[in-house]
Amino acid sequence: MDLREKQIIVSGGVKGLGRAIIGKLVSRGSVVTVFDIEETGFDSLKEEYPAVECVACDVSNYEGVFAATEEFFANHGAPDVLVNNAGILYSEPLLRFTGDGLQIHDRKTWDRVLQTNLSSVFYMTSCLVAKMVATRTKGVVVNIGSVAAAGNPGASAYSATKAAVHSLTGAWARELGPLGIRVVAVAPGFMDTDSARAATTETALRETIKRVPLRRLGRTEEVADAVVAVIENDFFNGKVFELDGGLTI
Amino acid sequence: MRTNLEQLLAEVLQIPVERVTAELAMQDMDAWDSLKHMELIASLEQQLHIELSFDEIVTMRSVGDIKRVLSAKGVAV
Repeated sequence: MDLREKQIIVSGGVKGLGRAIIGKLVSRGSVVTVFDIEETGFDSLKEEYPAVECVACDVSNYEGVFAATEEFFANHGAPDVLVNNAGILYSEPLLRFTGDGLQIHDRKTWDRVLQTNLSSVFYMTSCLVAKMVATRTKGVVVNIGSVAAAGNPGASAYSATKAAVHSLTGAWARELGPLGIRVVAVAPGFMDTDSARAATTETALRETIKRVPLRRLGRTEEVADAVVAVIENDFFNGKVFELDGGLTI
Repeated sequence: MRTNLEQLLAEVLQIPVERVTAELAMQDMDAWDSLKHMELIASLEQQLHIELSFDEIVTMRSVGDIKRVLSAKGVAV
């Protein structure tokens, strides 16, 4: 796919990886709309990328997604590409030994991570792909997965959502491929982002870096390059592009 | 004498070509579900070098419907 003048929606693009993805897409001439709950970041995003449209939307809320995607369709038609990037990085083990005994994974947090990282992907994709099919728009859905899909200890909810997102990538690729819609995923390894640093300790981070053959964390720009690559390559479909510096070899 | 279209429908729906009659409809066949319908649309577009609109796709719920839509597009059925 030639990215020039393509209508692309990126969820969660105000900061971190989403912002890097937006930068790459804008530089390729795409028309980008961001769906993000963090309205406070819109001014800074617009300052850096004036042509980017910002839509305040909590993608983990179905009614909000439905209304926002309907409005997008009324103004722009069906998108050519959807990048499901919104999500939260969260670490909590299944069991914790405390002074009071065993404490189990907080159920509310479990639900929130599933809603934000998994249900949002279903909400955004179902609402927008319906528009793509109705207008016979051929395009691409890119899901941001993670190498944590294999099961990171201490990150039950996060790992489960990313495994589910990889699974949806395969299922939807098979369902939608005949109609010309590709569904792909990019799975970063450990990234050098504020949220990644906030979700772990310096010691754990140093240990992680030792396990990466390239002895460093990934950069958001490198993942954004991978997102562009999987959109542009018309034969890449239903697969997960792992970008982890060799961590999972 | 079976037409190429009937052969194609039989192949996609994985049924003997004799079963492909104008009356054969989605509702009568478990195997002709939405996923199979998408596959059918893709095969028709590819084989007949046409593009079907969404309205046409949702109209094509039986072999007779398919033939009507294709005839209207100038395809010999």
